[in-house]
Amino acid sequence: MEPLLETQDLTVRFGGVVAVEDVSLTVPPGEIRGIIGPNGAGKSTLFNALSGVVKAEGRINFDGRDIADVPVHQRAGLGLRRTFQHVRLMQNRTALENVLVGMHLEIPANPLKSVLNLGGGVSPDRVARDRAREVMSFLGIDGLILRETGTLTIAQQRLLELARALAPGPKLLMLDEPCAGLSVPAVQTLDEILLRLKEEWKLTILLVEHVVSLVIDVSDSITVLDKGRVIAEGAGDEVMSNPAVKQAYLGTEEVDAA
Amino acid sequence: MEIHRLFANRLFTPALFVALCLVSTATNPYLQYLLNLILVYVVVAVGQMIVLGFAGQFAFANAAFMGIGAYTVALLGSHFGISYWVSLPAAGVLCAVVGCIVGLPALRLRRVYLGLMTMGFAELCYWLFLHWRDVTLGTDGVKVAAPTFFGIRLDTDDAAFFVIVIVTFAMVLLAKAILASRYGRAFIAIRENELVARCNGINVPLYKTLAFTLSGFYAGIGGGLFALAVRFVAPDTFNLLQVVLHFAIVMVGGVGTLSGALLGALFLTMLPEVLRGTQAAQEMMYGVLLIGVIVFMPKGVAGYLIERRILPPEVLVHGWREEVREGDGTPRADAKPSTAELQKGR
Repeated sequence: MEPLLETQDLTVRFGGVVAVEDVSLTVPPGEIRGIIGPNGAGKSTLFNALSGVVKAEGRINFDGRDIADVPVHQRAGLGLRRTFQHVRLMQNRTALENVLVGMHLEIPANPLKSVLNLGGGVSPDRVARDRAREVMSFLGIDGLILRETGTLTIAQQRLLELARALAPGPKLLMLDEPCAGLSVPAVQTLDEILLRLKEEWKLTILLVEHVVSLVIDVSDSITVLDKGRVIAEGAGDEVMSNPAVKQAYLGTEEVDAA
Repeated sequence: MEIHRLFANRLFTPALFVALCLVSTATNPYLQYLLNLILVYVVVAVGQMIVLGFAGQFAFANAAFMGIGAYTVALLGSHFGISYWVSLPAAGVLCAVVGCIVGLPALRLRRVYLGLMTMGFAELCYWLFLHWRDVTLGTDGVKVAAPTFFGIRLDTDDAAFFVIVIVTFAMVLLAKAILASRYGRAFIAIRENELVARCNGINVPLYKTLAFTLSGFYAGIGGGLFALAVRFVAPDTFNLLQVVLHFAIVMVGGVGTLSGALLGALFLTMLPEVLRGTQAAQEMMYGVLLIGVIVFMPKGVAGYLIERRILPPEVLVHGWREEVREGDGTPRADAKPSTAELQKGR
C-alpha cells in the first residue's frame, strides 16, 4: 500500500545545532505511529518540519505529492492537521469559535456565500456548526459548545484542540503530547478516543507522547528519536526492549553495571 | 427580563433605526450635528476596530484614510462637480486601495514597529493635506458642496442625517456579517496566534492585507460621511489627535467587539460635549475619564457590559444563537451513550 507520509533524510538545523537529522519515516494510511524519545530528541521539531512551520532539508511526500515547498496553510488544506504541546486556543472565545477556526477551509471563501449567504440554501456556518457539534459530541464535549475556552479544564481544552484538528476531517493528525497535564482517568479517556479514531475514522495519526503506556497501547508501531536521529523503529515491545532505546531513556549500561 | 435579550432581539436594529429617525425630528441644530457626528464616528470606529481590535494589527493610519476619504468627496465635488453619490463610494474604494498598500509592510513589521510606520503614514498625509496647496487649498480648507437627492438639496444637518444614518446602519450590519463569518474568525485567530492560524489553513498575509483593506474602506466611507456632516474639510482635523482618538475609541469601547466600536464612538464623541460646561477643566476631565475607563473596565465599556450580562455576548458564528436552545453549557439530552461512557473517565 502506498504510504500516506514518507520523509527522506529530513534534517532541520538551527544555526549550528542539528535538531533533526536524516529522519526517514514511512507511515502507511490508517496507522497510529508513536514517536517517543527523551527531552530534546527533536520530536516537536519533527512535527514543526512536517507542518511546515520550520524550514527543513530533505523530502516530504504526503498523500502522493511532494510538499517540501508547500506553505503551512496549504499543508493544512491538504489534510495535515496538528495539536500543540502547550494548548493553543483562543482563550476569550467560545469553544465553537475555536473549532470553526479549524474549519476555515471547509467554509466557502466566496464572501457572497460565506458572509451574506446569497444564493439560498443552508448557510455555510450552519453546516460548519453541525459538523463542529458532531465532532465535539464524538469527543464528549458537545455540552461545552458555547462555553468560554478560558473557563474549561485542561482536559477539556486538550479535547477542544483535538476537536479543532478533527473537524475538517484530516488525513493525517499529528498530536504533540496530548496527555501533558492530564489526570490518569483523562489519559484513559484519550486512549479510548484514539482507538476509536483508528477503528471508526481509519485516521492516520502521529503521536508524540511521554506517557509510554498510552503510546504502546494505541500505536501500531513506534519510532524512537534521540538527539535528532531515529535510533529504533518497530512494534511496541520490540522497541522497548531495544538496548539503544534503554540507553537513551535510562542512561548508559556502564552506570547500570556500577 | 434580562437586558441583553432586548439587544439580541431581531427587532432591536430596526427599532433603533426608527427611534433615531424620530429623535432627529425633535433635535435642535446643535444636537442634530452631534448625532450626525456620532454616527460618522461609528463607521470610522468600526474600521479601526476591524484592523486593531479584531486582526490585532497596530495600524494607526485610519485617521489618514478618513482624511483621504473626506478630501476625496470634498475635492471631487468642488473641482469637478462630481455628485456625492459617486464620490462617497469612490472615497471608500480609494481608501481601501490605499489601506491595502499601507498594509503590505504589516506582512513584515509587527507591533510597535508597525505602529510607528502607520503613524508615520498618517503624519505624511497630514503634511500633504497641509502643504499640497494646489489641490487641498492648504489651511484654507475645502467647502463641501451639498448633495442633491432627486432635486432636493441636502444642505442642512437634518437632511444630511438621513444619508448618514442609512449608510451607517448599512456599514455596521455589513461589518457584523463579515466579522461573524470565516473572515472575522480568521482575523481573531491571527490576533491570538499566527502560528495556530497558519496550521489551521488560514493564509495569514492575505487576511492581514484584507483587514487593512476593509479597514481603509470603512475609514474612507467614514471620511466621506464626515465631509457631509461638517461640510468643511481642513487639514487640522486629521492630525495626530485624530489618530489618538481612533485608538482611544477602540480601547475604551472594548477590543474585539463590534458593540465596542459603537459605544466607543458614542462615548468619545459625546464626552467633550458633555464636559463643555467644565470650561478649563474640560481636557483634564477628558483624560481622567479615559484613564478611569481603562483602569476599571480593562475590557472596555462593551467588555464590561457583556460581563455584566447587560449586552449580549458576541460570538463570531452566523446563527450561533440557535445553539443556545441546546442549553448553555449543559450536555445535550440526546448525547450518545458512548459519549457518556467516554465522559465517565473524567
